[in-house]
Amino acid sequence: MIRVSHLTKRFAGCVAVDDVSFTIERGEVVGFLGVNGAGKTTTLRILSCYLPATSGSAAVAGYDVFRDSLEVRRRIGYLPENAPLYPEMRVDEYLQFRARLKGVPAAQCRRHLPEVKDRCGLKDSGRRIIGQLSRGYRQRVGLADCLVHEPELLILDEPTLGLDPAQVIQVRELIKELARRHTILLSTHILSEVDATCQRVLIIHEGRIVASDTPEQLRERLHAGARTVVELSGPPEEMPRRLESLPDVHSVRLEKEDGAWRRYVIEGAHGTDVRPAVFELAALNNWRLRELRQDKNTLEEVFVSLTSPAPEGDRP
Amino acid sequence: MKTFLTLWRKELAAYFLSPIAYVVMIFFLVVFGFSFWLLVSVLVQGPAGVSVMQELFGSLFFWITLLVAAPVLTMRLFTEEKTSGTLETLMTAPVTDTEVVLAKYFGALGFYLILWLPTVAYAVVLRAFSPLTASVDLGPMLGGYLGALLVGAFYLSVGVFCSSLASNQIMAAISCFAGIGVVFFAGFMAFLARSDAARDAFAYISSVSHMLDFARGLVDTRPIILYVTLTAFMLFAAVKVIESRRWK
Repeated sequence: MIRVSHLTKRFAGCVAVDDVSFTIERGEVVGFLGVNGAGKTTTLRILSCYLPATSGSAAVAGYDVFRDSLEVRRRIGYLPENAPLYPEMRVDEYLQFRARLKGVPAAQCRRHLPEVKDRCGLKDSGRRIIGQLSRGYRQRVGLADCLVHEPELLILDEPTLGLDPAQVIQVRELIKELARRHTILLSTHILSEVDATCQRVLIIHEGRIVASDTPEQLRERLHAGARTVVELSGPPEEMPRRLESLPDVHSVRLEKEDGAWRRYVIEGAHGTDVRPAVFELAALNNWRLRELRQDKNTLEEVFVSLTSPAPEGDRP
Repeated sequence: MKTFLTLWRKELAAYFLSPIAYVVMIFFLVVFGFSFWLLVSVLVQGPAGVSVMQELFGSLFFWITLLVAAPVLTMRLFTEEKTSGTLETLMTAPVTDTEVVLAKYFGALGFYLILWLPTVAYAVVLRAFSPLTASVDLGPMLGGYLGALLVGAFYLSVGVFCSSLASNQIMAAISCFAGIGVVFFAGFMAFLARSDAARDAFAYISSVSHMLDFARGLVDTRPIILYVTLTAFMLFAAVKVIESRRWK
């Protein structure tokens, strides 16, 4: 659906996007993740034909974004950051205007518009003036605008920016529902959003793609199952010593004391699971055990380790 | 063409949704109403030396109104879209840059023509109430309107160009006012020029004398060509400015 190769965009004095290549297949929901200023919006603007690339090429549905710009624009629904709209228009007026602009025939427009409004939760807001709508409703109008011409690809730039938590959940639900019919590329700097909605993550940092994988695999790539948390009650001097002597265990750290209970964080070798061994040790010595779990890396940690300037030792 | 019509309709409708258009309309009608009243009060004293239409289309009021109305009507066309970010939604829809510029221009021109519409009543009133000898000829009247259309079309195209360049409405309005002001006052340079060649050149672009000719019923093709080509050039330049984000 999207094929980007060696895309570079230079603005006066800075490189916003630096030799970026990726492909997105039909039907995928891909999160474009990066801190503010990483080059997300610029890349999306190039894909939506608003800005040209300095070098490299990008194609949407087989059409080049520069040479066949109109064909590309017919096939995408693009929601820019902050969902800019004409404040003086009514919701219905605006959606009709946009549909006509995108070449939707009048008959199809009449049939299709109520359905789009329904999907975006705008059923009863058709007569309202856009300038008087709340942030969340404006976002919905923006999304509805993306959908009026039934595009194959949706490009959403920070679709949940500035929404309250309830609205964020609504928009995410909507995106999940849309994912059944459309290919979606959405940008965000919020990690939980990617976890909630996307099948694949592209992490962009300082204009470069630093990772492209599923959220689960990204987490696993960084010390998969290497960290185990255990809470035990037993002889305080003996326990850490015995834990450390287990195979595959690198280090044991006391994290918390709670009366007789002690919580240890065990760092193990990459790709190993020390939980059965810890359990057997506890059973053998008659220590009481109240918690034993593997600590999954959060996406935040993955992100920080991928984008931190000095690479960590255990970075894959 | 369908895209153009859709855009054009939206642009024209946008005028009626913004208060500034009504302010311009009121200003326009007040000034022209006053100018008409002045004209009638001269006419009641007996046959006047000048043609009636010259008084209406060549007066100071006509020029002040035009020089003010054109920047105000065009200043928001692109700047508003830039500041609110809607230019991005607009330009990522399947529309060409030329369609957008032309739709905005003809939207402004459409509103400009609507501004003039009520003034037809003045001509009708004059024809109905004046004696046959001092009556209003159809020729000068149509000539006057043609002149107002040509000069207005050019001024608005300067406004569209300035709006495409500027980043805010005030800058757009001031640069447009400066632009059309220079062209307007260049006509008066004919009185100051030393050499004959310069005098001829300045006289050739003198909007004031063009309007006086038109209002006399004298339709010369030279000013028509001048204004049409100038307008086309300004619109071409505006298209290039909008296009420029693709090669900047």
